[in-house]
Amino acid sequence: MSTPATQVVDHSALKVNQTGIIATVLVAFVGGALFRPLLVLIPLLAIVLLLGTFAPQLALFKQFYFKVLKPRGIVKPRPVQDRPEPHNFAQGLGGVFLAVASIFLIPLTFLGLALALLVAVLAFVNVAFGYCLGCQIFYQLERRGLLRA
Amino acid sequence: MSAQLWALAVAGIVVLAAACLETFRSRRARRLVLATSPSPSVPRRGAAPINGEEQPYILYFTGDSCTVCRTHQEPALARLGDVRVDKVDAIAERTLADRFHVYTLPTTVVMGADGQPLHVNYGYAPAPKLERQLAEARVMSLRSAATA
Repeated sequence: MSTPATQVVDHSALKVNQTGIIATVLVAFVGGALFRPLLVLIPLLAIVLLLGTFAPQLALFKQFYFKVLKPRGIVKPRPVQDRPEPHNFAQGLGGVFLAVASIFLIPLTFLGLALALLVAVLAFVNVAFGYCLGCQIFYQLERRGLLRA
Repeated sequence: MSAQLWALAVAGIVVLAAACLETFRSRRARRLVLATSPSPSVPRRGAAPINGEEQPYILYFTGDSCTVCRTHQEPALARLGDVRVDKVDAIAERTLADRFHVYTLPTTVVMGADGQPLHVNYGYAPAPKLERQLAEARVMSLRSAATA
Protein backbone atom coordinates (compact mmCIF):
# COMPACT_ATOMS: atom_id res chain seq x y z
CA MET A 1 0.00 0.00 0.00
CA SER A 2 1.40 3.40 -0.91
CA THR A 3 1.72 6.11 1.69
CA PRO A 4 -0.56 9.02 0.83
CA ALA A 5 1.35 12.20 -0.05
CA THR A 6 -0.74 14.62 1.96
CA GLN A 7 -0.31 18.13 3.29
CA VAL A 8 -2.21 20.13 5.85
CA VAL A 9 -5.46 21.55 4.50
CA ASP A 10 -7.50 23.95 6.60
CA HIS A 11 -11.02 22.55 6.33
CA SER A 12 -12.52 25.69 7.80
CA ALA A 13 -11.40 27.53 4.63
CA LEU A 14 -13.21 24.92 2.54
CA LYS A 15 -16.36 25.26 4.66
CA VAL A 16 -16.30 29.05 4.37
CA ASN A 17 -15.88 28.70 0.60
CA GLN A 18 -18.85 26.33 0.36
CA THR A 19 -20.97 28.53 2.60
CA GLY A 20 -20.11 31.49 0.36
CA ILE A 21 -21.25 29.54 -2.69
CA ILE A 22 -24.56 28.57 -1.04
CA ALA A 23 -25.22 32.13 0.16
CA THR A 24 -24.42 33.73 -3.21
CA VAL A 25 -26.57 31.30 -5.19
CA LEU A 26 -29.46 31.73 -2.74
CA VAL A 27 -29.25 35.53 -2.95
CA ALA A 28 -29.21 35.34 -6.76
CA PHE A 29 -32.04 32.80 -6.79
CA VAL A 30 -34.41 34.48 -4.36
CA GLY A 31 -33.33 38.06 -5.07
CA GLY A 32 -33.48 37.46 -8.84
CA ALA A 33 -37.23 36.91 -8.54
CA LEU A 34 -37.68 40.43 -7.15
CA PHE A 35 -34.78 42.25 -8.77
CA ARG A 36 -33.62 40.49 -11.93
CA PRO A 37 -30.14 42.14 -12.17
CA LEU A 38 -29.15 40.12 -9.06
CA LEU A 39 -28.84 37.14 -11.38
CA VAL A 40 -25.48 38.61 -12.39
CA LEU A 41 -24.15 37.10 -9.14
CA ILE A 42 -24.15 33.68 -10.81
CA PRO A 43 -21.63 34.52 -13.58
CA LEU A 44 -19.61 36.50 -11.01
CA LEU A 45 -19.52 33.46 -8.73
CA ALA A 46 -18.43 31.30 -11.68
CA ILE A 47 -15.52 33.69 -12.31
CA VAL A 48 -14.57 33.70 -8.61
CA LEU A 49 -14.56 29.90 -8.41
CA LEU A 50 -12.64 29.41 -11.65
CA LEU A 51 -10.07 32.05 -10.73
CA GLY A 52 -9.68 30.51 -7.26
CA THR A 53 -9.12 27.08 -8.77
CA PHE A 54 -6.12 28.17 -10.81
CA ALA A 55 -4.85 30.98 -8.56
CA PRO A 56 -5.64 30.22 -4.87
CA GLN A 57 -4.65 33.78 -3.89
CA LEU A 58 -7.68 34.95 -5.90
CA ALA A 59 -10.14 32.59 -4.17
CA LEU A 60 -12.42 35.26 -2.73
CA PHE A 61 -14.15 33.30 0.06
CA LYS A 62 -10.97 31.52 1.16
CA GLN A 63 -9.10 34.84 1.25
CA PHE A 64 -11.96 36.32 3.29
CA TYR A 65 -11.45 33.45 5.74
CA PHE A 66 -7.65 33.76 5.87
CA LYS A 67 -7.59 37.58 6.02
CA VAL A 68 -10.67 38.37 8.13
CA LEU A 69 -12.43 35.44 9.80
CA LYS A 70 -9.40 33.48 10.99
CA PRO A 71 -7.27 36.37 12.38
CA ARG A 72 -10.25 37.74 14.31
CA GLY A 73 -11.10 34.32 15.72
CA ILE A 74 -14.58 34.35 14.17
CA VAL A 75 -13.96 30.94 12.58
CA LYS A 76 -11.50 28.56 14.18
CA PRO A 77 -9.01 26.78 11.91
CA ARG A 78 -9.42 23.05 11.39
CA PRO A 79 -6.20 21.65 9.92
CA VAL A 80 -6.50 18.14 8.48
CA GLN A 81 -3.88 15.96 6.78
CA ASP A 82 -5.36 15.99 3.31
CA ARG A 83 -4.71 16.62 -0.36
CA PRO A 84 -5.83 19.98 -1.79
CA GLU A 85 -6.18 18.70 -5.39
CA PRO A 86 -9.59 16.96 -5.03
CA HIS A 87 -11.03 20.08 -3.36
CA ASN A 88 -9.62 22.36 -6.06
CA PHE A 89 -11.01 20.01 -8.68
CA ALA A 90 -14.44 20.11 -7.02
CA GLN A 91 -14.32 23.90 -6.87
CA GLY A 92 -13.36 24.08 -10.56
CA LEU A 93 -16.19 21.73 -11.43
CA GLY A 94 -18.59 24.00 -9.54
CA GLY A 95 -17.18 26.97 -11.47
CA VAL A 96 -17.69 25.20 -14.81
CA PHE A 97 -21.30 24.31 -13.90
CA LEU A 98 -21.96 27.92 -12.90
CA ALA A 99 -20.38 29.15 -16.13
CA VAL A 100 -22.73 26.88 -18.11
CA ALA A 101 -25.60 28.10 -15.90
CA SER A 102 -24.62 31.69 -16.76
CA ILE A 103 -24.83 30.94 -20.49
CA PHE A 104 -28.34 29.56 -20.01
CA LEU A 105 -29.54 32.43 -17.83
CA ILE A 106 -30.64 34.63 -20.74
CA PRO A 107 -32.31 32.21 -23.19
CA LEU A 108 -33.54 29.64 -20.62
CA THR A 109 -33.54 31.31 -17.20
CA PHE A 110 -35.08 28.35 -15.37
CA LEU A 111 -32.36 25.98 -16.63
CA GLY A 112 -29.57 28.34 -15.64
CA LEU A 113 -31.11 28.75 -12.20
CA ALA A 114 -31.60 24.99 -11.85
CA LEU A 115 -27.91 24.36 -12.60
CA ALA A 116 -26.85 27.04 -10.12
CA LEU A 117 -29.20 25.54 -7.53
CA LEU A 118 -27.62 22.11 -8.04
CA VAL A 119 -24.18 23.57 -7.36
CA ALA A 120 -25.55 25.10 -4.14
CA VAL A 121 -27.17 21.77 -3.15
CA LEU A 122 -23.84 19.94 -3.63
CA ALA A 123 -22.02 22.61 -1.63
CA PHE A 124 -24.62 22.19 1.13
CA VAL A 125 -24.20 18.40 1.12
CA ASN A 126 -20.46 18.95 1.51
CA VAL A 127 -20.86 21.42 4.39
CA ALA A 128 -23.50 19.38 6.20
CA PHE A 129 -22.42 15.78 5.59
CA GLY A 130 -18.82 16.01 4.36
CA TYR A 131 -19.71 14.31 1.08
CA CYS A 132 -17.82 15.88 -1.81
CA LEU A 133 -19.10 14.78 -5.22
CA GLY A 134 -16.26 16.54 -7.06
CA CYS A 135 -13.76 14.58 -4.91
CA GLN A 136 -15.51 11.31 -5.86
CA ILE A 137 -15.27 12.25 -9.56
CA PHE A 138 -11.60 13.07 -8.95
CA TYR A 139 -11.13 9.58 -7.44
CA GLN A 140 -12.82 7.93 -10.44
CA LEU A 141 -10.66 9.89 -12.92
CA GLU A 142 -7.50 9.13 -10.94
CA ARG A 143 -8.45 5.46 -10.78
CA ARG A 144 -8.81 5.35 -14.55
CA GLY A 145 -5.43 7.06 -14.92
CA LEU A 146 -6.98 10.22 -16.42
CA LEU A 147 -5.65 12.40 -13.62
CA ARG A 148 -2.27 12.21 -11.97
CA ALA A 149 -1.48 13.63 -8.54
CA MET B 1 -40.99 34.05 -10.27
CA SER B 2 -42.14 31.22 -12.52
CA ALA B 3 -38.52 30.68 -13.67
CA GLN B 4 -37.57 30.12 -10.01
CA LEU B 5 -40.36 27.59 -9.55
CA TRP B 6 -39.40 25.70 -12.70
CA ALA B 7 -35.76 25.76 -11.61
CA LEU B 8 -36.74 24.30 -8.23
CA ALA B 9 -38.71 21.57 -9.97
CA VAL B 10 -35.85 20.70 -12.34
CA ALA B 11 -33.25 20.71 -9.56
CA GLY B 12 -35.56 18.60 -7.36
CA ILE B 13 -36.03 16.02 -10.13
CA VAL B 14 -32.27 15.85 -10.76
CA VAL B 15 -31.52 15.39 -7.03
CA LEU B 16 -34.21 12.70 -6.73
CA ALA B 17 -32.95 10.90 -9.84
CA ALA B 18 -29.36 11.04 -8.56
CA ALA B 19 -30.44 9.63 -5.17
CA CYS B 20 -32.33 6.77 -6.87
CA LEU B 21 -29.38 6.06 -9.17
CA GLU B 22 -26.96 5.99 -6.22
CA THR B 23 -29.23 3.61 -4.28
CA PHE B 24 -29.54 1.34 -7.32
CA ARG B 25 -25.79 1.45 -7.93
CA SER B 26 -24.80 0.59 -4.37
CA ARG B 27 -27.38 -2.21 -4.12
CA ARG B 28 -26.22 -3.68 -7.42
CA ALA B 29 -22.54 -3.50 -6.42
CA ARG B 30 -23.32 -5.04 -3.01
CA ARG B 31 -25.31 -7.84 -4.64
CA LEU B 32 -22.48 -8.53 -7.08
CA VAL B 33 -19.93 -8.80 -4.28
CA LEU B 34 -22.04 -10.89 -1.91
CA ALA B 35 -23.70 -13.15 -4.47
CA THR B 36 -20.70 -13.89 -6.68
CA SER B 37 -20.16 -17.61 -6.72
CA PRO B 38 -17.58 -18.38 -5.51
CA SER B 39 -17.35 -15.29 -3.30
CA PRO B 40 -14.17 -13.25 -3.66
CA SER B 41 -12.49 -14.52 -0.51
CA VAL B 42 -9.47 -12.53 0.53
CA PRO B 43 -6.52 -13.99 2.39
CA ARG B 44 -5.69 -12.25 5.66
CA ARG B 45 -3.20 -9.47 5.27
CA GLY B 46 -0.62 -8.77 7.95
CA ALA B 47 -0.94 -9.59 11.65
CA ALA B 48 -1.89 -12.89 13.23
CA PRO B 49 -5.45 -13.62 14.42
CA ILE B 50 -6.41 -12.09 17.79
CA ASN B 51 -6.13 -14.63 20.69
CA GLY B 52 -5.12 -17.30 18.19
CA GLU B 53 -8.68 -17.52 16.85
CA GLU B 54 -9.98 -16.40 13.49
CA GLN B 55 -12.20 -13.34 13.95
CA PRO B 56 -14.27 -11.26 11.56
CA TYR B 57 -12.36 -8.25 10.31
CA ILE B 58 -12.81 -5.17 8.16
CA LEU B 59 -11.35 -4.45 4.76
CA TYR B 60 -11.17 -0.68 4.51
CA PHE B 61 -10.75 0.85 1.04
CA THR B 62 -9.38 4.35 1.08
CA GLY B 63 -7.25 6.69 -0.99
CA ASP B 64 -5.25 9.84 -0.49
CA SER B 65 -7.94 11.87 -2.32
CA CYS B 66 -10.58 10.77 0.21
CA THR B 67 -11.26 13.43 2.80
CA VAL B 68 -14.26 11.71 4.42
CA CYS B 69 -11.95 8.76 5.08
CA ARG B 70 -9.77 10.92 7.32
CA THR B 71 -12.41 13.11 8.89
CA HIS B 72 -15.18 10.54 9.45
CA GLN B 73 -14.33 6.92 8.57
CA GLU B 74 -11.01 6.54 10.36
CA PRO B 75 -12.29 7.95 13.69
CA ALA B 76 -15.29 5.57 13.38
CA LEU B 77 -12.97 2.60 12.78
CA ALA B 78 -10.79 3.65 15.72
CA ARG B 79 -13.89 3.51 17.97
CA LEU B 80 -14.33 -0.20 17.18
CA GLY B 81 -11.51 -1.09 19.56
CA ASP B 82 -9.83 -4.47 19.13
CA VAL B 83 -11.20 -5.17 15.67
CA ARG B 84 -8.69 -5.81 12.96
CA VAL B 85 -8.82 -3.34 10.07
CA ASP B 86 -6.97 -4.04 6.82
CA LYS B 87 -6.40 -0.73 5.07
CA VAL B 88 -6.29 -0.90 1.28
CA ASP B 89 -5.30 1.91 -1.07
CA ALA B 90 -8.00 1.63 -3.75
CA ILE B 91 -5.82 3.37 -6.34
CA ALA B 92 -2.66 1.34 -5.73
CA GLU B 93 -4.53 -1.97 -5.34
CA ARG B 94 -7.00 -1.55 -8.14
CA THR B 95 -7.52 -5.28 -8.77
CA LEU B 96 -8.65 -5.86 -5.20
CA ALA B 97 -10.82 -2.73 -5.34
CA ASP B 98 -12.43 -3.98 -8.55
CA ARG B 99 -13.18 -7.34 -6.95
CA PHE B 100 -15.28 -5.51 -4.40
CA HIS B 101 -16.77 -3.11 -6.96
CA VAL B 102 -15.38 -0.12 -5.07
CA TYR B 103 -16.86 2.85 -6.91
CA THR B 104 -16.74 5.30 -4.04
CA LEU B 105 -14.47 6.02 -1.08
CA PRO B 106 -14.54 5.09 1.70
CA THR B 107 -15.79 1.53 1.25
CA THR B 108 -15.77 -0.90 4.16
CA VAL B 109 -16.24 -4.65 3.83
CA VAL B 110 -16.98 -6.77 6.90
CA MET B 111 -15.24 -10.07 6.30
CA GLY B 112 -16.17 -13.27 8.07
CA ALA B 113 -13.63 -15.37 9.95
CA ASP B 114 -13.40 -17.57 6.84
CA GLY B 115 -12.40 -14.59 4.68
CA GLN B 116 -15.79 -14.28 2.96
CA PRO B 117 -17.39 -10.83 2.56
CA LEU B 118 -20.54 -10.50 4.68
CA HIS B 119 -21.42 -6.80 4.52
CA VAL B 120 -20.33 -4.09 2.10
CA ASN B 121 -20.75 -0.39 2.89
CA TYR B 122 -20.24 2.06 0.05
CA GLY B 123 -19.59 5.50 1.50
CA TYR B 124 -19.13 6.46 5.15
CA ALA B 125 -20.23 3.76 7.59
CA PRO B 126 -20.68 4.95 11.20
CA ALA B 127 -19.23 2.94 14.10
CA PRO B 128 -22.59 1.58 15.42
CA LYS B 129 -23.43 0.18 11.98
CA LEU B 130 -20.03 -1.53 11.72
CA GLU B 131 -20.38 -2.87 15.28
CA ARG B 132 -23.75 -4.38 14.39
CA GLN B 133 -22.36 -5.96 11.24
CA LEU B 134 -19.36 -7.34 13.13
CA ALA B 135 -21.65 -8.81 15.79
CA GLU B 136 -23.64 -10.56 13.05
CA ALA B 137 -20.40 -11.82 11.52
CA ARG B 138 -19.29 -13.23 14.90
CA VAL B 139 -22.63 -15.03 15.34
CA MET B 140 -22.28 -16.51 11.85
CA SER B 141 -18.73 -17.64 12.61
CA LEU B 142 -19.85 -19.33 15.84
CA ARG B 143 -22.71 -21.07 14.00
CA SER B 144 -20.45 -22.34 11.26
CA ALA B 145 -17.91 -23.50 13.86
CA ALA B 146 -20.65 -25.35 15.75
CA THR B 147 -21.94 -27.12 12.65
CA ALA B 148 -18.45 -28.02 11.41
